[in-house]
Amino acid sequence: MKNDRHAFVNQLLVYTLVMICFTGSIGLGTVWLRNQMAQTANSVKSFEARTAEIERRLAETSAMIAAEQSPDALIRRNSEWRLGLTAPDFRTQIVRISENPIDRLMAKRSRDLYSPQPTVQPVKFVLGAAH
Amino acid sequence: MSKGFASNYRIVVLAVGIFLCLGGVGTRLVFLHVIDRDVLVRYIDKARRQIIPDKARRGDILDARGNVLATSRSLVVIWADPQVVRKEDEAKWPELAALLDLPLVELQKVLNTKTKARSAQSDDENVEDDDHDIRWAKLKENVSEETYDKITALKIKGIGGDRTYCRTYPNNQLAAHIIGYVNKEGVPASGIEHYVDFYLRGQDGWRESEKDGRQREMAQFRTREVPAANGFSVKLSLDVTIQHIIEREMEEIAKQFNPAHASIIVSEAQSGFILGMSVYPTFNLNEFNTSPMEAQKNFAISDQIDPGSTFKIVAVAGALNEGLVSLEDRFDCAQEYVDYNGRHLHLMRDDNDVPRTHPLSVAEIVCHSSNHGAALLAMKLGDKKFYDYVCAFGFGEKAGFPVSGEISGDINPPSKWSGIDITRIPAGYSVSATPLQIHYAMATIASGGELWRPQVIREIQDATGERIYRFERSARRRVLNSAAAEKMARALVGVVTDGTGQKAAIAGYQVAGKTGTAQKLIGGHYSDDHHVTSFVGFFPASQPDIVISVVVDDPKVPRVNAWGSFVAAPSFKRIGEQLIQYRGIKPVTEVSRPLVALGGGHL
Repeated sequence: MKNDRHAFVNQLLVYTLVMICFTGSIGLGTVWLRNQMAQTANSVKSFEARTAEIERRLAETSAMIAAEQSPDALIRRNSEWRLGLTAPDFRTQIVRISENPIDRLMAKRSRDLYSPQPTVQPVKFVLGAAH
Repeated sequence: MSKGFASNYRIVVLAVGIFLCLGGVGTRLVFLHVIDRDVLVRYIDKARRQIIPDKARRGDILDARGNVLATSRSLVVIWADPQVVRKEDEAKWPELAALLDLPLVELQKVLNTKTKARSAQSDDENVEDDDHDIRWAKLKENVSEETYDKITALKIKGIGGDRTYCRTYPNNQLAAHIIGYVNKEGVPASGIEHYVDFYLRGQDGWRESEKDGRQREMAQFRTREVPAANGFSVKLSLDVTIQHIIEREMEEIAKQFNPAHASIIVSEAQSGFILGMSVYPTFNLNEFNTSPMEAQKNFAISDQIDPGSTFKIVAVAGALNEGLVSLEDRFDCAQEYVDYNGRHLHLMRDDNDVPRTHPLSVAEIVCHSSNHGAALLAMKLGDKKFYDYVCAFGFGEKAGFPVSGEISGDINPPSKWSGIDITRIPAGYSVSATPLQIHYAMATIASGGELWRPQVIREIQDATGERIYRFERSARRRVLNSAAAEKMARALVGVVTDGTGQKAAIAGYQVAGKTGTAQKLIGGHYSDDHHVTSFVGFFPASQPDIVISVVVDDPKVPRVNAWGSFVAAPSFKRIGEQLIQYRGIKPVTEVSRPLVALGGGHL
């Protein structure tokens, strides 16, 4: 009878120890999981921060590009870099054709084909002549 | 079964020990989770829980071609915590001062001031200590990200930065009165910024989270999160290039005539959308706080002027629309007096240029801008009918321009007219209108008889550029039938070819338009020295593409030159010539005058 009680107590102690180990491992597992969650959350947070930073820099760059593309800035650059760019003059640089352009181009092509000398003189480029 | 190590005594001691420990832990848990719960939860909430706002980025304002007119730029507010600043970093302060563009003495003063005296008016009687620690002091705002990176690289403890979005206007003063601005408090104060703030501002987000002892967010404890929804972008009908063209012309007008005010408006003839609006005086949107309020006022919609002869289109178009006259019908415009409704009325004096040798046709009345003729046509319509046409053309009512500050102008009903008003109003006196109303009255002829709603917003786009909503052209009402509008346009072509507006003529193009010159009412009398001069027109006359109005208030010119034909018409011509090449406007009719280039080229 006494032996049975001791055996029961021993078993109880063993089970208790097993339970403690089991519970402990669950606790440790939970801690590990929470740590993993924290790491993942921090990683997500850093990605968010990085994305936000990129968006901010994008916004700043876009603003700078827009400022550089403004008409005043372009005119200033044209002057600073001595590009000599001017607006085209519609009175002297645009040719209005009152006749049918197809007929005119056909006639021009025919002249080129049958003429010993080309009727159109090659255009001579003089770069930088504007200034 | 073996006896094992356990004895009764040991078992009891062990069991009691375990249960005591468990009981102790349990009791403590009861205290923590039940009895003191509310106090502890409040403490934790205060100490650890935080709501982190997530600011939405305000949407951009774009022009018709997608150029940015207003955008939000990321800037940093640099601050210092004097309690944390260390002496060993003092060697880096000069470099920091240089980066912040601050005098070193000023920086040293901020960083060395650790406490601040409490306010003398403090009603807290229990405060024993008169000073309190300074934990935050602003060093500089609007610092760029690039500069902030350099500051961070210095690794000065106690120096930090808060990022914020700041509104910026890349084109400075361009279209300032249309775009408007957001003030320092982030409140949209005027213009499109104010009108479509609902779309632009977006929706701020927030997240509920916890922070650690160093005030860092512990992301794993985020509970609720509402992401920020960035604002929509608004695409305008304005075109930066056209706006630049007219603003450059406005600079010329200002330099040449030094007017009190001036406006230039360009709109699409077939839709009424505004392509450009320039107002003088103007201001820089990025420095709105230093510009006077007078410069921020939009003269084109907020000031009323006597329209002068540009108003004559109302009487003529009305009479043509009613079928009372044709362009060939003639009127005796040499007479000084006329009998009307049983009254003997004295007509307004005509200018010397108006021919008196023969009765003038309706086309000639328009061409030579005869006050007598306009009055006779209005009388032919009658008070009521003429007044109805004035209202139908949009005078005396707000046009519905989307930018605030618009006024309705002033036109009295016939019941309040004096005896001579029927001779004055058709010539553009005793009536007040905004430059915008004058512009859209002419645009009614260009559109074939429909009065457009002045619109400046083309579409709303989301953050990815997808269209959310598109605004279509919108007519307020039909004023004239198309036949009457066409006749009116033909009469207005005569103004430019043979009449008062010859300086607005563009070689190779049929231009229709009307000059206007009105004496200003000063001290109850019409002044001989102060005028409002204008030219309003459109082209090509038979297939109108654009409508341009130039209104110059009080140009400083000799009296002999104070005419719309001298002041405003040349500007119309210069703007028109530039728009022809920019928009690729082709002449509709055969070229009437030989162009210089026709002799050259090999096509």
